[in-house]
Amino acid sequence: MTVFALIPLLPLLGFFVIAFGGNRLGEVSHRIGIPAVGLSAALSFVAFYYVAVAGPISIPLYTLIDVGAVSVAVDLYIDQLTVLLLLLVTVGSFVVHVYSSSYMIGDPRYRRFFAVIGLFTFAMVLLVMSNNLLVTYMCWEVMGICSYLLISHWAHRESAAKAATKAFLVNAVADVGLGFGVIFTLATYGTLNIQEILAAVPSMAGSDINLLGWLGFEWLIERNTLITFCLLSGALGKSAQFPLHIWLPFAMEAPTPISALIHAATMVNAGPFLLARMSPLVLSAPSAMAVIAIVGMTTAVYGGLVALTQSDIKKSLAYSTISHIGFMIFACGVGAFVAAIFHLLAHGFLKGFLFLSTGNALESASAHGHAKSSGRVSGSLAAGALLLALIPAVVIFSGPYEQMWTAHQTPAAQVAFFFLALATVFLTGMYIFRAVSSLFGHQVGNSGVLPNLFAPAYLAGVGVLVAAVGCLLVFVWTWFAAFLGPALGAQPPLAAGPAFSPWLVAALLAAVAGWGFARQFQPSPTFAGAWTKMAYVALLNRLYVDEIFDAFVVGPFIRFCDWLQGTIETLGLDNLIQTTARVVMVLSNWLWTVLEVRGLDRGLGGGADSSVALSRWLWRVVDLRGDAMVEGLGRASDETGEMLQRIEPRTLQHHLLVVVFWLMLAIALSYWLIL
Amino acid sequence: MSTILADHLISCLIAVPFLGIALLVLAKSDEWARRIALLATFAALGVAITALLSFDPGQSGMQFVERAEWMPTFNIQYAVGLDGISMLLVLLTALLSPICVLASWKSIDSKVKAYMALILLVEGAMIVVFTALDLFLFFMLWEVTMIPMYFMIVIWGGPGRIAAGIKFVLYSLTGSLLLLVGILGLYLEGGRTFDILALSGQTFSDDVQFWIFLALLLGFGIKLPMIPFHSWLPDAHSEAPTAGSVILAGVLLKLGGYGFLRICLPILPDASVVFAPLMVWLSVGAILYGACLALAQTDLKRLVAYSSISHMGFVTLGIFAFNEQGVQGAILQMFNHGITTAALFLAVGQLYDRTHSRSVDDYGGLHKQMPRFAVALSFFSVASFGLPGTANFIGEFLVLVGASYTSFARVLLAMLGIVLAAAYMLWMLQRVVLGKALTRAAAALPDLSTREMATLVPLAIIIFVVGVYPGLLMELMDASVINLVEQARVGLPADMAALD
Repeated sequence: MTVFALIPLLPLLGFFVIAFGGNRLGEVSHRIGIPAVGLSAALSFVAFYYVAVAGPISIPLYTLIDVGAVSVAVDLYIDQLTVLLLLLVTVGSFVVHVYSSSYMIGDPRYRRFFAVIGLFTFAMVLLVMSNNLLVTYMCWEVMGICSYLLISHWAHRESAAKAATKAFLVNAVADVGLGFGVIFTLATYGTLNIQEILAAVPSMAGSDINLLGWLGFEWLIERNTLITFCLLSGALGKSAQFPLHIWLPFAMEAPTPISALIHAATMVNAGPFLLARMSPLVLSAPSAMAVIAIVGMTTAVYGGLVALTQSDIKKSLAYSTISHIGFMIFACGVGAFVAAIFHLLAHGFLKGFLFLSTGNALESASAHGHAKSSGRVSGSLAAGALLLALIPAVVIFSGPYEQMWTAHQTPAAQVAFFFLALATVFLTGMYIFRAVSSLFGHQVGNSGVLPNLFAPAYLAGVGVLVAAVGCLLVFVWTWFAAFLGPALGAQPPLAAGPAFSPWLVAALLAAVAGWGFARQFQPSPTFAGAWTKMAYVALLNRLYVDEIFDAFVVGPFIRFCDWLQGTIETLGLDNLIQTTARVVMVLSNWLWTVLEVRGLDRGLGGGADSSVALSRWLWRVVDLRGDAMVEGLGRASDETGEMLQRIEPRTLQHHLLVVVFWLMLAIALSYWLIL
Repeated sequence: MSTILADHLISCLIAVPFLGIALLVLAKSDEWARRIALLATFAALGVAITALLSFDPGQSGMQFVERAEWMPTFNIQYAVGLDGISMLLVLLTALLSPICVLASWKSIDSKVKAYMALILLVEGAMIVVFTALDLFLFFMLWEVTMIPMYFMIVIWGGPGRIAAGIKFVLYSLTGSLLLLVGILGLYLEGGRTFDILALSGQTFSDDVQFWIFLALLLGFGIKLPMIPFHSWLPDAHSEAPTAGSVILAGVLLKLGGYGFLRICLPILPDASVVFAPLMVWLSVGAILYGACLALAQTDLKRLVAYSSISHMGFVTLGIFAFNEQGVQGAILQMFNHGITTAALFLAVGQLYDRTHSRSVDDYGGLHKQMPRFAVALSFFSVASFGLPGTANFIGEFLVLVGASYTSFARVLLAMLGIVLAAAYMLWMLQRVVLGKALTRAAAALPDLSTREMATLVPLAIIIFVVGVYPGLLMELMDASVINLVEQARVGLPADMAALD
């Protein structure tokens, strides 16, 4: 069993070897990365078989933290959910490794690239295998920094640098919620072991916490609900949910294989995975689930609409990812975790495939000046796109999961969800085919370069294909639900209803209609109607979410910090200190005038005068012959005086007085304290 | 010889830097001065590691204790000892000193002998402070640490060095006078003894505790620094030479935290509890305020200085949680902050050596000319905001867990500070390391030399190893911290004491 610990450790080992192997590795770095990830992919298949036969495995590794009552152990836990994600991650990463070994040739940072994707793979693998929330959180963050490094791969580009920072910071904001959730979970359950927490969920039902207690108000919320909101917060960032999705489209600054890795196989899937992993907890918090469903649905519709208007195929694919992940989050929000994971896996493989094909097509486009890709590539793209368009329809509307619409008791909400879901399926069909066609015929509106995908004969063929693929998916889907069910604990039992339902057919039709509609309706800036044009422009600009954040969050905050620096720190605090110093100086100056000049100096002056008179008298009276000697003495004392003057008696006196002042204060204080 | 070492381990550890100073007098050339200083600091590190190896982590009390009469009239002793808490800080001091010497190998070329002597003096004094069991000894050497720092800033510092030096001295003096008042108060109230262990066993009346705590709070708070007593730190840091900044950030700031742990919590538990809400809010304030100000800086050294203020907020936040997690996290955070911030100052110093500019706007695109430097700076920057896998994450996590026992709101606010830390660090990286070179000078910088790498790599290894296996350090201090928390909890009301 312990051998499965190698699944995360091999990519980590690969990372170390490549990162510290020196420059001689250069462009052969993939010879370390590929076998490492390949082996862990193979092991994942073994683990899959093992789990399918013998059930979940638990592998304790070591204790990270052990302080008092808090103990954090790095344990691996492999169940059906883990194993499916493992397959996606390791196989996806393996394909990306192989693909990149030729795609990235000639890149000066080849070695860095392979090192980082190794670390990235490690983090994602450990994330899905971890049995401890803190370790999950750690992997979550490490993935964030890896994506930062990958997005800034072409670091000389200003835009890449900005995109990388943005990606990390948006995630960091969201992760405050998740991190707080970890600490709050620890405070609530006394452990961070995921299985122990899930087992203890029912015992915490009804336990409240006052959110505004520190302000003296009362706003009670159930502990489980709060934790679920924290999980959602993490998912908002990593899985690019509205309104924190803004980092993902910019992440396209990374090399194309990274898009496949981040946006398909790994990082963005972390959100739905986390919700599914914690599903018993999520199910115990219905109000949080409603919020999750609304967030997911908003994201799905928003992503779909924006994807329609983007002219850059990579941007368009990015928004389609946002839309799909939104769909998965939505599924989690209505309690359909099995559907979410099925969607996740299918989307992961297909989107990865699409990105890599896009990379090929873009490469050949830049090489030949025009995208005259071979029929094979365009065919494979079309097939991938087709499957992708059908998935939401199948997973959400296939028979066994119709019952999930009853998770929310309000009929209006059910209907709303239902129609929104159908609309999203329609949109998915539309933008996917638009994206594919825009790649092969740059001016789609112009029938001359339309790809033959839209010829009527093909349309008919696709109709048949849709039915066939739908059948296949539904068949796979039923098996899948039976396999994954046990890992998700508190799932409602699957109804043995018919796989096909009218809704499924409606959804499949919606997908096809979306595709067909994409041919007729091409969003373009030349819209005649004022409303449609306005909507188009707004969507083209992604509803100005980025600009809103810049104008209302980032900008004001930076100005606030500058204000703090300029006003509080410099004008306020520093001035206060300097004023104090000045007051002390003035005080000592005054003391000096009063004591020295008026008092001591006069006294001394009088003394000096009289002594001069005395010496004159002495001189006159005692010895005129001592004249020469006295003169000599006078010269010597003149020199001493000059020397003393050079040491600036004033400052010296000031220093002494400052010290005296403090000493007096200290003595007074201690006197007062002691008596 | 070996028995002397075994019986007087701490005295040997203290003697090594001072012997180094004596040897420095004999040094004929600057080159020899550097070598002797390096040798002395490495020897001290060797002795510190010997102490670490013979240290028994299972024991909660002081180990290697040495006592001798010093001024019997006032009952002043030369008394030193190590427990898990001081062990860690002594180790940090001994570790950073050779790095300071290495860092100033080339950049200091005038009065080298004096400079090296000051580094050794500060090291020796710090070790005494961290091991002292007698308050008088503690206070005296506390004062001594200030003098070399002042001269380092004023003689080898940047353009604004005089003003920065005076500010530093005035603040420190004010702090130490109040500290003196507090210590004298303890001496007079506690039956005329300066012995820390004896004082820990006594109970003082609430009033006495309150006033003494107030005096000590200002003394330690200025050193730490807590807001609003922090304004000496950015100036001192930005004007000090590299080694000065490293010592200042790496070790000197820890004096404040150490003082709270060694004196306030065990001797004045009731007052600590009374002041805890104030301390905690000041800590949270420092975390957020320091982070906001760091975001507004364009001077690299000032940026790191303000980040220090922010990170030291976590230390007091942890200490005044009065539980094992918080205190261990605070100590770990002190250690990590010492190493990370020292490394950041080293890195900034290396840039400064090349271009004599500390402004963010003068750099850019360093990933191309200085790839090794870029990796190092990036690593320490992400470590500084507590990326998982670095030791800082563990420290901050434990502090937050500790703080969560009393209030979740503070935890959430402190976490916002971490996000801000990520923001200013990554923004700095974006402008310095990524992108294109903004000036022609920045486009032709040589990468790090082997000597410069030697100062950074050990620190990176420590940060990573502790981040992945924090048990290494935490086992050291576990017993001592349990002991300390028990002493501090005397002051807690019964319902709070039952929380753990």
